[in-house]
Amino acid sequence: MIHTTQHDDSITVVRPGVERLTAQNATGFKNEVVELIDQGNSQIIVDFSQVSFLDSSGLGALVGVLKKIGHRGDLLIADLNSDVEQMFRICRMDRVLPIHRNVDAALQSLRERQ
Amino acid sequence: MVERLKIIVAEDNLVQRLYLSKLIESLGYEAIPADDGQAAIQELRRSRIQIVISDYQMPNMDGIQLTKAVRALDLDHYVYIIMITGSENDELRTEALDAGVDDFLNKTRSPVMLNARIRAATRLIQHADELAERTRILKETNDRIQEDLRAAAAAQRQLLPDFKEEMSGFDISSAFVPSSFVSGDMFGCFPLNEDTLGFYMIDVSGHGVHASLLSVALGYLITPEFFRTFALQDGQPFDPAALVANLNDRFYSSDNDEYFTMFCGVIDTASGELTYCQAAYPSPYYVDEEGAVDMVGNGGFPVALLPSMTYENNSIHLAQGGTLVVCSDAVTEAENEKNAPFGLDRLKRMVGTMPYVGAKQMPETIVQSLTDWRGGNTLEDDLTVVALKRN
Repeated sequence: MIHTTQHDDSITVVRPGVERLTAQNATGFKNEVVELIDQGNSQIIVDFSQVSFLDSSGLGALVGVLKKIGHRGDLLIADLNSDVEQMFRICRMDRVLPIHRNVDAALQSLRERQ
Repeated sequence: MVERLKIIVAEDNLVQRLYLSKLIESLGYEAIPADDGQAAIQELRRSRIQIVISDYQMPNMDGIQLTKAVRALDLDHYVYIIMITGSENDELRTEALDAGVDDFLNKTRSPVMLNARIRAATRLIQHADELAERTRILKETNDRIQEDLRAAAAAQRQLLPDFKEEMSGFDISSAFVPSSFVSGDMFGCFPLNEDTLGFYMIDVSGHGVHASLLSVALGYLITPEFFRTFALQDGQPFDPAALVANLNDRFYSSDNDEYFTMFCGVIDTASGELTYCQAAYPSPYYVDEEGAVDMVGNGGFPVALLPSMTYENNSIHLAQGGTLVVCSDAVTEAENEKNAPFGLDRLKRMVGTMPYVGAKQMPETIVQSLTDWRGGNTLEDDLTVVALKRN
């Protein structure tokens, strides 16, 4: 389901590979990203450019991934459409998950931290 | 004595029938002769015989017609049909296979071949029987689960109030549509004492049994007493955020992703002052007497998703004739046949018709509009709408 792109500086960009991240597929998404983390990837950017809709289960999956990474790494969100961004704002997830305009901006932010 | 396996021999020619029956008996099976297709069908109807050896050419009903008739009986066990043909005609065999014939024997009738065919039939029938037994058990289990779910749904519905009533100077009305048997939505509204009204709306993430168990637990936990304990302290301002924080501590667990969103409030019924805490639940709308609509609240953390979250209290004034409309996110997320969501703007316009529709009718009216909007689309999430109007 997910597509990943590895960047030189051990950053993994994850595209969920679905247009709608919902109760139907959220568990599968989470398990696949958790597997990436178990393999040692700890700096992850989730690219939402192809995702038009996220429901509460999708959000739960993202936070599940965040809990898995914990203090060992970073989880960044990139390229939310306005509806999904509105949902993040209502849930105050913008205070828990760093949201970036696009993948490049998220990559830059991670590199600056290193 | 072990009962011998019975095999129907459908053959119109008496000599042939007797010969074939004898051959079958000599192989250790019991032959049940039928002198035409009709007789074979009658035999199949009243017995549970599962193997038929039939001639192709018979008067009234030939082997292929017999096969079609057997399949049309739609028996609850499989009937294996071996057809005897005189020639190796591909066209005839194709037609026979299409009709449902399982195997062929040619007229030479070698006992070795016949025995091999019957053994193949026996194997398949045993397999079919095992499969049927497994299916029966699965169906039985499934029926029991469905029945349990219906009972659970009925129990849950009893917890959910169906508001059409007046309470401490407010008209409360509600509408609720679960997306499956059981639901992850829960809500309640009740007087806390002589001067206050408490209410809450909860939407457990996900749906189905898992979500419904949590929603029912919350429905039992959140009582007027629970509100009084955490949200009403003597001499202190109302504190619904403390109630929500208590739920967050109580239900947060590091080993699962289950959480819920919530909107809860305490209303001072004399002044109309509403103190609320929004925990990721969609912002409600406040509509004044003239129909002007405002969104209430700008968000807050969900409950039980992350540990030690802080929650805020905010307040608005509900004027006389003003109505608060609280809807689960299923309202704005409901999609029409072109996958366009109902959306906030449409909901806001609907709520603005309050002066014409009336608060008591508003929840049902919203549900009806969503049904129209969805067309044939099924509801993907539980739908709850509650309206509170200050008289």
